Amino acid sequence: MKTLDRQLLEAHDANNADALVSLYTQAANHTDDIDAACFYLTHAYVFALERGDKAADALRKRLAAHGREPSHD
Amino acid sequence: MDHATNIDAVRRPIHEANGLPNAHYIDPSVFDEEKHAVLFSQWAGLGVGAEVPEIGDAVPQTFLGIPLLMLRDKTGKVRVFQNTCRHRGMILVEEPRKIEGAIRCPYHSWCYSTEGRLVSTPHVGGPGQNTHDGIDRALLGLIEIRSYVWMDVVWINISGDAPKFVDANAELVAQWATFDKPLFHGGENSTFQLTLDCNWKLAVENYCESYHLPWIHPGLNSYSRLEDHYHIEVPEKYSGQGTSVYRQLKDDAGNTFPDFADIDEKWDTAAEYISVFPNVLMGVHRDHTFAIILTPEGPEKTIENIHLYYAAPKTDSNLRAQNTEQWKLIFNEDVFVVEGMQRGRHAPQFDGGRFSPAMDGPTHLFHDWVALKLQTHRNSKMVAE
Repeated sequence: MKTLDRQLLEAHDANNADALVSLYTQAANHTDDIDAACFYLTHAYVFALERGDKAADALRKRLAAHGREPSHD
Repeated sequence: MDHATNIDAVRRPIHEANGLPNAHYIDPSVFDEEKHAVLFSQWAGLGVGAEVPEIGDAVPQTFLGIPLLMLRDKTGKVRVFQNTCRHRGMILVEEPRKIEGAIRCPYHSWCYSTEGRLVSTPHVGGPGQNTHDGIDRALLGLIEIRSYVWMDVVWINISGDAPKFVDANAELVAQWATFDKPLFHGGENSTFQLTLDCNWKLAVENYCESYHLPWIHPGLNSYSRLEDHYHIEVPEKYSGQGTSVYRQLKDDAGNTFPDFADIDEKWDTAAEYISVFPNVLMGVHRDHTFAIILTPEGPEKTIENIHLYYAAPKTDSNLRAQNTEQWKLIFNEDVFVVEGMQRGRHAPQFDGGRFSPAMDGPTHLFHDWVALKLQTHRNSKMVAE
């Protein structure tokens, strides 16, 4: 099974925003380090925003819960 | 520019006037002066709404060196922005495409809504920290260029201080109120582009007048004679020509395009062709309209984008193609003229030329308009200095 890193690189190469949203969210979910998680969530959120993905709102709320985005968009 | 050109002779009555001096067609510094005086300060044509037919459609355009982004926002409104991120000035959109959600800068991924709001500033306060007290998103939206859509042409006012479009063009909007209704772009076979080796003004000047028709468009003249045309002259505003013998295009079976609804009898046989200063050439007929957007690419190069419109969303494709071909033939017939006049302006002793007092009124009116705008610009610069 490919590592998450490899899958992320492939998704970046392919400009596959849907995969990037999903993979960065997974990366965030697999770490207990809040700063690292927010780093990944930020990327998931940005690609979700670009894609018009409904997941953007939930991702923003997760970031806002840690003070990384304004509480209201 | 160090030495302003002398344009006094341009503003004299037509029987005494000379045209704009050569420098207005060949000198880069005068081109730059006119860019500000005549194009940025007015409502200039950028493109047409049909280029961004669906929500999220975005087309980058360069207008006189300025990178712009024309898009249709989530509410369906056409907007024009500087195509530049508020962070490091990166170009946001390189190719025409659909914005599905937000516009993401390809550099540091700052994101903007299609209404121009800055909605994301990733890592701006450090890794995973997406806010910072020094970055107020509310103040850092995309810079919007004033725009207005009329007859599907997207008009922009770069300087931002022109009167409202409908006030600046009140007479024209009233004159063509009949056609101020949904126009349906004919699609792929109803648009084409011409590249001209000439200053943009020569295309305007040639379009203004009917004097050249019997010589340059003999096919057209066979049914629409010079004496069937009339001048359209609204001093300091716009000019053009009309004909009283417009004949509808028919296919082999005698079918025509549908007419626009609720047009009065005049238009049964009339057609009008107006130069909407500075850079849009338009034509109206009972069954179709067209818009020609002139994009100045330099003192001696101009791109013409031509778009044809109909009264109904579905019209016969073959007939549309035939109509496009007919107009393409006519507009191509004008190319050697505007390019010839351009080369003629490298003759140092050419004095701007004289006008036929009877036939060149609409063309002189355009020269006078350009000179007026230049005088206004020069006076305001003098005051500022």
